[in-house]
Amino acid sequence: MSDIRLFNYDDDEVTGGLRSLYAAPSGDAYWNELEARIMARVADVDIGWWTELDRWVRPALAAAAVLLIAAGIAMFRAHQVENEIAADSMLSSPAVPVSSAVRPSLDDDRSARIRYLFGCSSQDASCSAPNSKR
Amino acid sequence: MRVDTGHASMTAVFAATTLELPFRMPSPSTSGDARADERALVVAAQRGESEAFASLVRQHQRRAYAVCRAIVLTHEDAEDAVQEGFLHAFKALDRFLPDQPFGAWLYRIMANASLDLVRRRKVRDADELPDTVPMPFRDPGESDELRRRLNQALTKLSERQRAVIVLHDVEGFTHGEIGGMLGIPEGTARSDLHHARAALRRLLQDVRSDL
Repeated sequence: MSDIRLFNYDDDEVTGGLRSLYAAPSGDAYWNELEARIMARVADVDIGWWTELDRWVRPALAAAAVLLIAAGIAMFRAHQVENEIAADSMLSSPAVPVSSAVRPSLDDDRSARIRYLFGCSSQDASCSAPNSKR
Repeated sequence: MRVDTGHASMTAVFAATTLELPFRMPSPSTSGDARADERALVVAAQRGESEAFASLVRQHQRRAYAVCRAIVLTHEDAEDAVQEGFLHAFKALDRFLPDQPFGAWLYRIMANASLDLVRRRKVRDADELPDTVPMPFRDPGESDELRRRLNQALTKLSERQRAVIVLHDVEGFTHGEIGGMLGIPEGTARSDLHHARAALRRLLQDVRSDL
């Protein structure tokens, strides 16, 4: 009685029982059919548009990363050039002459008033001196 | 009849299988020529040659079935897991490095597909479990009573213990290989095997008197 012998607490007997329980199907026909089913499912997957999309995910991600890095570098360079121009403009000579920035002296005002009162023209050399008398 | 499904231990298995372990397991045929042939097939399949992938399926489907069958409860589930596993492998083929053993990579995928299936079944059957224990694939020559008794004893083990004892004692995988497939340390696989054998011995002890 093989059934009785199986329960003889012997590991070999238990292992034998396990092997009979978990025995894979025998016969090539079964495996050929399983292979055909697997390949049919694989073929279905292959024609799906997402498969093609999946193939492009990695290159697309790599390209996006390269573009991001390039854009970052370009922005950094542009910012750097702006800073250089600003620094150069600050260090270069001012566009407005220094003389115009100086407040006219009181003497100049006074002589202008005298010239006006005495009718001196600006071309008259004798009137040019602030204290000149006619 | 309620069946102890060992939920906590399977949760640990699922958590462990998400880790990418440095897994090295020899494929069924590890001789130099066979490895070279297999490598050529893998490269051809990666180029999109479906006949090459079909050859890989032909070479590995029996072993893949054995791996799945050790983890799931029924022959039908094992078939589903094998198909899912090969589908996953096909989709991930471009990420496989041909210098690595293809079998090790494939069986890990098979184990994960089987564990996913077990998890889905568990969620589906969470509210109500079937009254009968699912029977494995039947060899018509075997006694129904023998199968029933041993199968009942197996359902008392946790999924991981059952998977380890079947993969080791029936399929001949080493502890390291089993650890790699299930995402557990080799020592844990060894310990699971020890506890599973002890549990089966204990569970089958009183069966003889029933017969």
